[in-house]
Amino acid sequence: MTAQTVAAPRRAVKLDSDCWSVVALAAAVTLPLLVFVVAPLFELLKLSFVTPDGIGLGNYITYARSAKFGRVVGNSIAVAATTTVITVVVGYAFAYAMQRTAMPFKRTLGAIALMPLFAPSLVQALGIVFLFGRNGLVNRTFGLSIDIYGFAGIVIADVLYSLPHAYLILSAALAVADARLYESAQVLGATRARIFRDITLPSTKYGVLSATFVVFTIVITDFGNPMVIGGDYNVLATEIYNQVSGQGNFRMGAVIGVLLLVPAAIAVVAEKWIMRRHHATISERSQPLVIVREPWRDRIGLAFASLACAMIAAIVLVVVVASFVTLWPYNLHVSLRHYRFEVQNGLQPLWTSIGVSLTAAAIGVVVTITGACVARRVRNAAGQALYFLSILPAAVPGMVLGLGYILVFNNPTNPLEFLYGTLLILALCNVYHYHAQGFLIATTSVNQISRVFDEASTSLGGSYLRTLRSVILPIIAPSIVSVGVFYFVRSMVTLSAVIFLVTPATQVAAVSVLLLDDAGNVNQAAAFSVCIMLVVALALVAFRIVLRVSGRGDVPLIR
Amino acid sequence: MYLTLRNISKRFGTVSALNDVTLAIDDGELVCFLGPSGCGKTTLLRVIAGLELPDAGDVMQDGVSLLGVPARLRNFGIVFQSYSLFPNMTVARNIGYGLECRKWPKAAIAPRIDEVLALVHLRDQADKFPHQLSGGQQQRVALARALAPKPTVLLLDEPLSALDAKVRDELRAEIKDLQTALGVTTVMVTHDQHEAMEMADRIVVMNAGIIEQVGGPIDLYDRPVNRFVAEFIGRMNLVRQSTARLPATEGQVDDAAYIGIRPEHIELVDADSDRSDALLGRVEKCVFLGSFTRITLNVDDRKLLLELRGRRTDLVNGSTLAIRIPADAIHRLQDAAP
Repeated sequence: MTAQTVAAPRRAVKLDSDCWSVVALAAAVTLPLLVFVVAPLFELLKLSFVTPDGIGLGNYITYARSAKFGRVVGNSIAVAATTTVITVVVGYAFAYAMQRTAMPFKRTLGAIALMPLFAPSLVQALGIVFLFGRNGLVNRTFGLSIDIYGFAGIVIADVLYSLPHAYLILSAALAVADARLYESAQVLGATRARIFRDITLPSTKYGVLSATFVVFTIVITDFGNPMVIGGDYNVLATEIYNQVSGQGNFRMGAVIGVLLLVPAAIAVVAEKWIMRRHHATISERSQPLVIVREPWRDRIGLAFASLACAMIAAIVLVVVVASFVTLWPYNLHVSLRHYRFEVQNGLQPLWTSIGVSLTAAAIGVVVTITGACVARRVRNAAGQALYFLSILPAAVPGMVLGLGYILVFNNPTNPLEFLYGTLLILALCNVYHYHAQGFLIATTSVNQISRVFDEASTSLGGSYLRTLRSVILPIIAPSIVSVGVFYFVRSMVTLSAVIFLVTPATQVAAVSVLLLDDAGNVNQAAAFSVCIMLVVALALVAFRIVLRVSGRGDVPLIR
Repeated sequence: MYLTLRNISKRFGTVSALNDVTLAIDDGELVCFLGPSGCGKTTLLRVIAGLELPDAGDVMQDGVSLLGVPARLRNFGIVFQSYSLFPNMTVARNIGYGLECRKWPKAAIAPRIDEVLALVHLRDQADKFPHQLSGGQQQRVALARALAPKPTVLLLDEPLSALDAKVRDELRAEIKDLQTALGVTTVMVTHDQHEAMEMADRIVVMNAGIIEQVGGPIDLYDRPVNRFVAEFIGRMNLVRQSTARLPATEGQVDDAAYIGIRPEHIELVDADSDRSDALLGRVEKCVFLGSFTRITLNVDDRKLLLELRGRRTDLVNGSTLAIRIPADAIHRLQDAAP
């Protein structure tokens, strides 16, 4: 009796201190999310609704009446819809060749298909301009006058840009298959075409829908490619930039930002909803489908995949080549003169980029892993709210977030105003711009840990923090590296959010590429792109080596 | 013979799944492939279906080789263990699928779907989706789907092993009745000897890629050709011939490696009788199993199982029991297939 009364308060205290550490950690991840995601969005929405006559839709009505409105919105939707259809079809065929044929060279082809992920998000447009532009190789060599600028150019560039995303999603969808369904259909007399229509397509429909929404979001929010190859063809993302950077019209920028936010948000919500339904339909007892050799099918698959890879590689290759010749395409003598970088702080933006990317990786790892651990522990409405906040950035286009940051941090009444114009705000912007993806990588691996470990640690007297430190973090160490690599690569190549935040002193490499291209200095833009790709490639190789040396060579770096 | 398998061999990498298997199956009979997992029974079924090509050998139907005929043109019906219904189609569409693929006239499809649904007692479920059905119902639909195009051969790949015991028993009888009524040549793969004994006209006992013995259930039980079959079907007390000193075997030396006695063939004798063939043993374990009692008896440090009808409350561990082994209960068994 006495023993119990003595023990009871002690247990209560123990529970309390654990509770407090969870609450403290939750606050530590939630507060920055409010400051760096919610506040910028709020300021942007506020600005878009505030008019001289009070709060209302006045700004939207004004913009909707302007001659530009219909054209820009129409352009955006036309580009996004066309690109999405092409990318999903091509991505499906490519993923099918990779997963459902026995063609050779799969590793090489798969690696080439992912190359666009590791290049600045305007390299595709740059490469296409080198090939088909006014002074491109094709027009100059054959005396043609193909006009690639505008709709066609943006669509081609964005197909190549978004293809790896579609490929990864569809490849995952095609990787799982129940052999029994295929064999049943075969025995029942179904032809190859019928099996594809009645089994393969229906069983991958969620992947197709998911890829459709993801690609649509990527394309409608893409800024770099339309900027380089769009010409007079304005889309929402470039229009925000023109309004804000060109005319200093923040209010119209905010209005267009909200217009861009809506379709992106709808697409992201739809995609999450679809994937949730999808998980419920996978049966755990399916028989894996074994792919056997079929010469003709494999040959067709190889031919198609090689063609797709040739196009992806050609674009990158032409950028590399153009950076090493005297004057593309007139003087093709090898020259290193574009690597002297005699303008714009020389090579400094590249070092800035590396610094920002390393900072973003460090902060991103801490923020997303902590967030994932807290979300795992707090299984109530608060936990769900944290989860929602964490993946909210997926729906926020980079241009919108960047504009929101100006509104929040370029404001003398904000105590965090000192961040504005620093490298730190660039890193933080990247951390929260890509927070959803980083958080999902972390969540996936944290959720794979059986709760038995937590319970064992707790029952042995370990506190929550101790369980985190000695059990959970060591188990997910490889994923921590994955999150870091993800942040490093994204921060090296991203353009859209940081374009609003750089100053001459804090210019990053991807922005340099855009400015060089804008100034007509395309060969130097190519050289700068090559430097970025080189840094990314070296970083990937370095991480690979580190992982292999530490005995974790099996960890995927690309997700 | 209706379906003939001639010298079939199949390797997966370094593993030999089937090793020179030859078998003939009659028109209208139900043959069970029985064996432990990995014995090659499923591979043999898949070779018949055309889902695997043999490395060597031939599969013939009515004297015509099937090797050049792809699975989809063989018109065989197949039922898998579970989860083979197309999840995106209703029950009716699942069943109609083979008919559409085989270009049945539209007008004939709906009545045929109705007909086979009636066969499996699921007419009221036609518009449901597979996930709305129980496991037993799903397997009935799978059976209906396989039967709908009037297949010349029905192939069943452990169709009952994912089901609950009670549903399994019901469906066993139902499948057998249906098969007899339709007279369709059927091959069923199973690892469950009771399933094979109950359903099969003939059982093919397989082990490590070869056929150990083929025969009717009674044949196999009464006349197993070797130790593997004897142990796989029913229970069998085994004693090495060289060490056996059972009275009933005296004076009969041959080349069999083992002698075997079924537990239920051992007879009790009066402990006081001075019969020359009586053996004394000590009861080590006594398990009541409903209609009979299984006793583990220690005879000269050798364990013998015996099964006695009914309940034996009089036996306790450590009590002594006198038994005899009738000469006609003795099986002479080789170690492996001859």
